Amino acid sequence: MSVQSEGKASRKVGLQELRLIDYERCMGCGTCEAVCGFIHDDRPYIKLYELYPGLVRPISCFHCSKAPCIEACPTGAMSRDPETGAVYVETTRCIGCMACLYACPFGIPEFSRVSNTATKCDLCRKLMHEGLRPACAAMCPAEAIVVAPPEEVGKEVRVRVLKKIVLPKLEALEESRK
Amino acid sequence: MKFAFLCKEKGSEGRGRVAIVGAGPAGLAAAGYLVCKGYDVEVFDKLPLPGGLMTFAIPSYRIRLATVLEGVEDLKKNFGVQFHLSTKVVCGKRHDEGDDFVKNEVQLSNLVNEFDAVLIATGTWQSRKMKIPGEDAEGVETALEYLFKVRAHEYGLMPEPPVPRRVIVVGGGLSAVDAAEVSLERGSEVVYLMYRRSIQQAPAGVYEIKRLIRKGVKWMELANPTRIITENGKVKAVEAIRMKLGEPDASGRPRPEPIPGSEFVVEADAVIEAIGEYSTPPIGEGCSELGIEVDRKGRIVVDENFRTSHPKVFAAGDVVTGPSKIGDASLLGLRAAKAIHLALSKGSTRL
Repeated sequence: MSVQSEGKASRKVGLQELRLIDYERCMGCGTCEAVCGFIHDDRPYIKLYELYPGLVRPISCFHCSKAPCIEACPTGAMSRDPETGAVYVETTRCIGCMACLYACPFGIPEFSRVSNTATKCDLCRKLMHEGLRPACAAMCPAEAIVVAPPEEVGKEVRVRVLKKIVLPKLEALEESRK
Repeated sequence: MKFAFLCKEKGSEGRGRVAIVGAGPAGLAAAGYLVCKGYDVEVFDKLPLPGGLMTFAIPSYRIRLATVLEGVEDLKKNFGVQFHLSTKVVCGKRHDEGDDFVKNEVQLSNLVNEFDAVLIATGTWQSRKMKIPGEDAEGVETALEYLFKVRAHEYGLMPEPPVPRRVIVVGGGLSAVDAAEVSLERGSEVVYLMYRRSIQQAPAGVYEIKRLIRKGVKWMELANPTRIITENGKVKAVEAIRMKLGEPDASGRPRPEPIPGSEFVVEADAVIEAIGEYSTPPIGEGCSELGIEVDRKGRIVVDENFRTSHPKVFAAGDVVTGPSKIGDASLLGLRAAKAIHLALSKGSTRL
């Protein structure tokens, strides 16, 4: 089934743009959910949950490169955007069986009472095709949402980790020199 | 950030000029939406840099100035948005916190006459005070004042604020958390966080308080300052009283009640009050001509379309709701911008 849905559209299969949420930088301000809801009729696809009083963090689709939701979809409605690699629901083909939700390890696809189909984050396909960033990443004030090709995301994360390890040591060194 | 996240270049749908008062999360998000629809937007802010509380209160380890400026540069260069900084828009006269850098004053009525619509997004720049003896002593300030000075110094706009040895931060919200954490980061030796209810009721949440305790903040719950003890006009100590939780009050939380005779004294060089902020609409003394309604908490009253009692004036963000999170303020800014577009185009609006 995966071959059917991925085959002819493009040579590029799998993930092209990776979205990473840096939970250490995230401060739970809710900007991602707010802007996502604004462009999706108040039904955001990145959602914040309060895990503990005062600890609020967002979750959304990971757009897996071997997406179980695509494999599980019996009608080929769960699709992959050839340009961005984002996984999205082709609403006209979806029968609302929610096999995708059963297959998803993160519980991401949800049932829309408006369209009576599955629905989920499409990584702002329309904006991305116009050369823009997904709204959540564009507006995050904490730079906690990174959307980029996987190599770049990996580099960004490694640099952030390095800074956290090395910079305090550098500061301590400068402090001791005073 | 990219405030104009919906488009690459200016739209052609809208026709008109919109003035936005306040360059915080609500005002900037609204500016981004409106330019994508094709409006000519001018933004006014009393501060010398855009971003509002993102730039002048929330610590830089949470939000970098560069992140905000990136989005502002995009609005300026690619969408022709004009920013009038250090410019306070007001009807009549009024003074708020963060007015230190105001160079020009513009009357709100001039904007109302000149523009097709005005969006007010001036936030909450007035802190609640404890109203206890000694509060005017040197070394007592609000969280907003303290955090403002720290960030203004980072930008080279103000001299370095002193680093007090012993600090008492009063409050249990996010401003209190930021003030306590920044005090610790800046090298204050002892940082107390004093809150009149218990950790479970702290508006910042148990997680944030525990995180601070792990970092070394001394948590002092069920205690409330009664008097600032001074020496030569400076803070020397705080007299506080133990509290107990009573029946739920109007907010649904148990009412903190002082335990008679339980007063105690904590030595301190500085007291930072973080017990809430009020909305600061640009409506001051001697303002009568616009008739913009404000409620008893200073919040601007708007209808479901974000319109104030003046038909050309809209409002959004914290000035309408009181203190909120950046996400809430941004969302209201976007919704108000959409409402302005709807009102000015008098047709259907698509995103």
